[in-house]
Amino acid sequence: MKTAFRITAGLLGKIRQDLRRPHPFAAERVGFISARPAVAGPTLSIIAADYHPVADEDYEKDRRVGAMIGPAAIRKALQVAYRGNVSMFHVHMHEHAGAPWFSRVDLTEYPKFVPDFFNVQAGLPHGAILLSHDEITGLLWAAKGRQPQLLDEAIEIGAPLRIFRRA
Amino acid sequence: MKDQFSRQSFLGEGSQERLTRLRFGVCGLGGGGSHVVQQLAHVGIGNPVICDPDIAKDVNLNRLIGATVSDVEEERPKTEISKRLVRGLLPEADVVLIPDEWQMQADLLRSCHIIFGCLDGYGERAQLEAFCRRFLIPLIDIGMDVHEMGNSYVISGQVILSTPGEHCMRCYGFITDAKLGEEARLYGAAGANPQVVWPNGVLASTAVGLAINLVCPWNKPVGSTYLEYDGNRHTVTPSNRLGAVAGRPCKHYHPGDVGDPFFALDLSAAA
Repeated sequence: MKTAFRITAGLLGKIRQDLRRPHPFAAERVGFISARPAVAGPTLSIIAADYHPVADEDYEKDRRVGAMIGPAAIRKALQVAYRGNVSMFHVHMHEHAGAPWFSRVDLTEYPKFVPDFFNVQAGLPHGAILLSHDEITGLLWAAKGRQPQLLDEAIEIGAPLRIFRRA
Repeated sequence: MKDQFSRQSFLGEGSQERLTRLRFGVCGLGGGGSHVVQQLAHVGIGNPVICDPDIAKDVNLNRLIGATVSDVEEERPKTEISKRLVRGLLPEADVVLIPDEWQMQADLLRSCHIIFGCLDGYGERAQLEAFCRRFLIPLIDIGMDVHEMGNSYVISGQVILSTPGEHCMRCYGFITDAKLGEEARLYGAAGANPQVVWPNGVLASTAVGLAINLVCPWNKPVGSTYLEYDGNRHTVTPSNRLGAVAGRPCKHYHPGDVGDPFFALDLSAAA
């Protein structure tokens, strides 16, 4: 099954604006996107609903990475997923234009917490979104215990309508 | 056929590949919808989802693009006529037909990047806009009407681009509870609406122009907009309603009301 991620330009702009804010000690910011899925013909479509920034106090000091979030941040995101009956996608931004790609740290850290969302919403997909200044890519976990798959398509709904496809 | 699209290279670098891979939906194959399908096929957009429950009838021949007398004699579905039209220009096109009301197989429309609403009535339009908002799909609505005014006739119409996250048809006052109520009160008594081919052509061309403008970098794209057609003066102009809502957010659709509220799929098996 193909996968697609849809988000309005307004919400995406709000997320990029938040992720650009300096943090007292972390080198970058992260957040979570709540989303709801839909079967769209042969495609599993993930539709972004809202953005949930990680609070300043929920970052931990760790010189090895740009941003390390603590258990409180994960707990709050899990609560959003549980109470809102939504999928959750971790989001952060790499500071460049063009197609972004996950760092080794990203790919090491995601499996440590993304599968936790299946403990509160087992029937929904979860994952991670990576932004650059002007593009989007993402990883989707369809079920607990499954390997993540790259999103086939990400669509920014606005003017222009921008469609990013997996290379 | 390598030169098929050479005259539209001004649309910008990568535009033809973008258009080729775009999936568009057309709901309603009357004079407007059939025009839209034809133009999109000429432009090279090869992946349509086309919905209409009707067969071609003789009363359609004054405006149904692609239809012939033999289609009427053979009671051919309008969707089949559109498919023939698209395939005649784009033999490899992935054409998905819904020869039914669009609501009956709406999940096929959810994968569209843009939907053209070419429906009759406010209720149908309101339903399609709500659907597009829920699944974050830009909707371009077109429609025309002929009114009798004393001893003369007035042709009017509209093209409305309703972009999720921006103003909607209710913001513009095009859909109101009063209009929906009046339509419901007259349900079954409306009779046949007068229709002619050229206003449909103007409206469809404007709609296709807005769509191409959304995905190709040849011109600065616009978001939600409301264009009014005056068929007596032969003009298309921005509606005064645009100024009335400028700077105000849409209050009719909550940004969080998205996705399938009945989603149930065994993802461990499906993905």
